[in-house]
Amino acid sequence: MLFTRRTMRRLLSLLFTFVTVLLLAEVCPAQGERAVYGYNLNGEPVTSLASSGVAAVVLFFAATDCPLSNRYLPEIRRIEQKFYSRHIVVWIVYPNFGETSVGVKQHEAAYGVEDHVLLDPNHQLVALAHAKVTPESAVLIPETADAKMFRTVYHGRVDDRYLRLGLEKPIAAQHDLERAIEAALQKRAVEQPGGPAVGCGIIGRP
Amino acid sequence: MNRFRKAHLFVALLNIGAALALSISLPRMRVQAAAAPITFSRQVAPILYKQCSGCHHPGGSGPFSLLSYADAKRWGKQIQTVTQSRYMPPWLPEPGFGNFADSRRLSSEDLELLKLWVEGGMPEGDPGEAPKAPIFSGEWQLGPPDLILKVTSPMQVPASGPDLFRNFILPVPIAETKYVRAMEIRPGAAQVVHHANMLIDRTASFRRQHPDDWKEGIPGMELAVDSGDSFDPDSHFLFWKPDSPALVEPNGMPWRVDPGNDLILNMHLKPTGKVETIQATVGLYFSDKPATAHPMLLQLEHDRAINIPAGDAAFVIEDQLKLPLDVDVLGVYPHAHYLGKRFEGYATLPNGEKKWLVLIRDWDIDRQSVYRFQSPVFLPKNSVLHMRYTYDNSSGNVRNPNSPPIPVKAGNRSVDEMGHLWIQVLPRPLPKAGGDPRMLLERAWMQNNLRKDPDDHVALYNLASMEMASGDYESAATLYRHILTRTPEDVRALIALGAALEKTRDWQQAQEKYEKALAVDPQNVDGLFDLAHLESEHGSYAEAERNYRRLLAVNPKDASAHNEFGKVLLATNRDAEATQEFEAAIAIAPEDLDALYNLAGIEADKGELPRAANLLEQALKLRDDADARQLLGSVYAQSGKLADALDQFKAVQTFRPHEAVPHRQLAQIYAQMGQLRDAINEQNIAISLEPKNADDWNNLGVLHARNGDAVMARKDFDRALTLDPQHVAARANRARL
Repeated sequence: MLFTRRTMRRLLSLLFTFVTVLLLAEVCPAQGERAVYGYNLNGEPVTSLASSGVAAVVLFFAATDCPLSNRYLPEIRRIEQKFYSRHIVVWIVYPNFGETSVGVKQHEAAYGVEDHVLLDPNHQLVALAHAKVTPESAVLIPETADAKMFRTVYHGRVDDRYLRLGLEKPIAAQHDLERAIEAALQKRAVEQPGGPAVGCGIIGRP
Repeated sequence: MNRFRKAHLFVALLNIGAALALSISLPRMRVQAAAAPITFSRQVAPILYKQCSGCHHPGGSGPFSLLSYADAKRWGKQIQTVTQSRYMPPWLPEPGFGNFADSRRLSSEDLELLKLWVEGGMPEGDPGEAPKAPIFSGEWQLGPPDLILKVTSPMQVPASGPDLFRNFILPVPIAETKYVRAMEIRPGAAQVVHHANMLIDRTASFRRQHPDDWKEGIPGMELAVDSGDSFDPDSHFLFWKPDSPALVEPNGMPWRVDPGNDLILNMHLKPTGKVETIQATVGLYFSDKPATAHPMLLQLEHDRAINIPAGDAAFVIEDQLKLPLDVDVLGVYPHAHYLGKRFEGYATLPNGEKKWLVLIRDWDIDRQSVYRFQSPVFLPKNSVLHMRYTYDNSSGNVRNPNSPPIPVKAGNRSVDEMGHLWIQVLPRPLPKAGGDPRMLLERAWMQNNLRKDPDDHVALYNLASMEMASGDYESAATLYRHILTRTPEDVRALIALGAALEKTRDWQQAQEKYEKALAVDPQNVDGLFDLAHLESEHGSYAEAERNYRRLLAVNPKDASAHNEFGKVLLATNRDAEATQEFEAAIAIAPEDLDALYNLAGIEADKGELPRAANLLEQALKLRDDADARQLLGSVYAQSGKLADALDQFKAVQTFRPHEAVPHRQLAQIYAQMGQLRDAINEQNIAISLEPKNADDWNNLGVLHARNGDAVMARKDFDRALTLDPQHVAARANRARL
């Protein structure tokens, strides 16, 4: 019985990988055609999330006008700092309809400038990461050496400080994203978040 | 049993009725919905503008604006989520357990409308139907304040980390007492400041406790300040939360601020993700009239009982207070830290009825607020106020700051706990003119605190102060001695005990207590003052002079000390130096009536009658005072202003109806004015009050003689001589008849 269950789990995992590849195939529709993940703050398309050799890409979904998302920016910076030498790239992704590069630049001026920022008006990365709210995060592992295809190994909350809107711990006890990155870098199985991401709903096109 | 069955039957009938109604009305509703969809303009905008835009406007504490259709549509789904869960608008009290003004709770109908609007595609409708969006300007809401206070040093709130609690001290630069009818707090960065409380520090005690760092703000969730020696209980909730408008006090209820007072802004700060700089400003609006109604803040608490075992998910503390008089409850402010769960505040009336004041089922420190009743809640005398707070110190309480849970006691840090229920009451006047009704409340409150802790220092001290005020100096001394058994070097209690002993005429013991207090704190101005005053009263002028000089070296701005020192100099015939001291007192405190009176006395003695009159008139503008009127009457009489003198002496009579002096003075003025009948009448009243005064009988004889009544005059002189056979004037006057 136990053996059977293990087998089933492996099968599910394979299925998940398959689905992820399919999703990525949507982002990268054909060989030779470069996927557009979003747009940088100069309005230029972003067609690469990382250069070859990257160990993992971390996406952090943010909004200029969501207080919970703002409160997490220092934490994301801390995580980025912690794994900096281990070849990860962190992208701050602004997915909300109505966000502008000017607005995001102003926001950066207040909250701190990031190296990798993009707007995701078409929700390419939202779909890839299954993001629902800001703040939310995802960890992508390159499937190929040239870092053109990725597999999503984690998506969800950064930590457990917010259990729902209005229910907040004084400090986080479970650092889900940090643990996921560590596991991914060590090529271990990545544990999924222990609870839902809490924040402001991502706003799509009307 | 029958009633039970009937009740069930009734419910069943109701259910049937509801089902019928639904089946009948559903098609109609569909038709209605199709004909008139829920739109932003008609149904949603009024809800948002009333309940949400107060925070959600540009520059407000809310993260985004909700002042237009575009705003509402953009955030529609979020609005639906947060309103359905009642996360927004923030409101803790359970409906039906206290009827509060400015409730932010959305009605079930409003919730349903918002939900249906989002589910219906968020149509705008006819923009012409939408109410005008509220306007939020950056200006002071009530116009330019009379006084603006600003926190001395800006504070940088870090980008991340746990919440911060900081107390900012705002000295109040005023030269005279002001009455504050309204206040607006501008906390600085609105999104950082979760809530704020303003305290009045009557003695600037908190600033003195932190001489080096008060300008930066002092950390701490709670604080205690010294309210000074006068009975002046806290009376108003000076509370700010993100959508707080300017705090306008009810008519007749401004709060007082005196020169030398500090305001302390106790702020709960929440890091936002970026470094924020805050520097709060406070605008005060003054009334030209003092308060005519005096509310009081009562506190239920049982911090001493807070000793919550780790893992205990339902730890309870309770407190109760029996009201010694009728009151109207104006508002409540429940307070605890992170372990608080369920809060109950209610009153049990003398007839056994339970009247809810507030019920909070799921406490959240982040959403705390003062709750003001829509209309005052009357509680008759002998009602009992109750507080019952439940705490959850288990790991299941996600707000628990300790992981794993640890035993928690009462304290000032966020990892400690508290349990307070502040209640603002307006005492109804006592049936008989029995003084300040707040005294009764204070006494009941402090006695209640002593029941919980017989050594409660504040309760002992405050009760002793009230015994002093009521003239029971022995009881006061006993209470002060109780304090000193635990803290024998408590300077304040030593000085207070000295004052109580002085009143019981045990002045040697009093002197010893003052000296002991000064041995502990040689520069204590209260101790120096009381000792010098005692020495002066007992004729030890040299010692009194030495101590007043010591005091004035510590605090040259002590107007009372200048005035009292002036009296010592006057007693030792140093009028010129005394004049300097009285003038110094008046320069510091122009409202110092005693100093004005004393200086007027010197001027009158010197024959400087216009200046004396001027000083006394100035004094009487400040406060009506019998001594000042009496002296002014004499000054007028000496200046030949007999009618004015008459007015003053008549006024003195109203103050002192049982004293002979004003009648004597009136008799003399009438005599000088030639109104002999009136003079005789007043002189007779004086004699009725002091029948054994030979001078009065002699004077009455003179008046009778001048009025042509020699028989009565002779009898009067005889009476004077009976009382005092050596009375020279009476003998001479009788001989002249």
